[in-house]
Amino acid sequence: MSQENAPIKIDKWDGNALKNALDDAAKKIMNESYGLVESFKLIDGRLALCSMAVSCSLFALLWDFLYPFPASKTVLIICVACYFILTGVISVYLLYFEGGVFYVGLEKDKAGIDPDDKWTLQSSLKKYDDQYCLKITYTGGVSKQTRSVERVCSVTEFFDEEGTLCYDLYEATVKGLKDSLSADKKAK
Amino acid sequence: LLDISFLSDLKRMNKRQVFYQFLSFGMIVSSALMIWKGLIVATGSESPVVVVLSGSMEPGFYRGDLLFLTNDLEDPIRAGDIAVFRIKGRDIPIVHRVLQVHERDDGYVKFLTKGDNNAIDDRGLYAPGQLWLEKGDVIGRAKGFVPYIGMVTIVMNDYPKFKYAVLGLLGIFVLLNREA
Repeated sequence: MSQENAPIKIDKWDGNALKNALDDAAKKIMNESYGLVESFKLIDGRLALCSMAVSCSLFALLWDFLYPFPASKTVLIICVACYFILTGVISVYLLYFEGGVFYVGLEKDKAGIDPDDKWTLQSSLKKYDDQYCLKITYTGGVSKQTRSVERVCSVTEFFDEEGTLCYDLYEATVKGLKDSLSADKKAK
Repeated sequence: LLDISFLSDLKRMNKRQVFYQFLSFGMIVSSALMIWKGLIVATGSESPVVVVLSGSMEPGFYRGDLLFLTNDLEDPIRAGDIAVFRIKGRDIPIVHRVLQVHERDDGYVKFLTKGDNNAIDDRGLYAPGQLWLEKGDVIGRAKGFVPYIGMVTIVMNDYPKFKYAVLGLLGIFVLLNREA
């Protein structure tokens, strides 16, 4: 049975697996090394929208089963319209609100008074490409200002011949990025 | 076995991501369902797409052709129309041509059908004692068709294990494929 700290090993030619491995490792680094608390609001929003869409179609199925067409005509029209409107909303939500964000971490204020600072991680990796772009955004809880930094690296920098993730190398890169943002914060 | 590399993606998913996998599957099934129900409402027919199952309408339609139906109740049924109907008590839709129509002033219509390639009319196919079809038996009238494609449906229904295998594999593929 593999444990939490076993090295991540994937198929190095699978672009999806590469991105997922790097994203998961970045999440782990942010949670463990900096004690950030992960916020699931963005993901929950998406889950809620999708659940609503699926419920809409299940309701239509049930209603049509109990009151066969043509008695169910009005209900069907409403459900189909709602479903496709919701699908459109979900697409917009994924494109603009989520937009590649895979992690939102909250930095609790030590005194417990001020609102939390927010650290957002976004990444992108094009199909059949090796250029992994990681973007860290800092939003001040009090100041409400945003600062971000991004870095494009080749995935070959972090994976070895067998497809094992070199966690230490990646950790150094991610921490370097985040610390550069924190340093900026202090300088200002 | 559990250490196969492609499964490592799945092991690292949290509860929400697992739920999203099932939701993605649900969304795909729901989209297909909503398109089908949408077609039902738009065409007014309870089965807007049917497959021709026999050769009784050759040379016009062959076994395996896909038919697109609409069911406009305002449009009067006329001799020569190709109607798709179900006999009461049976599931299988029949695609034949309308031969004779009788209309009453109050709007009641009864009609007789026959397959182009059949020697006799359909009275032998109707329910015992039934001599005519009524509007309520009609699922729709053919408005367009695509040849050959329906053979896939016929094969899948003749070999249900094949159908379940294909659907099962598709389902597993969707559930186990973690997107970035």
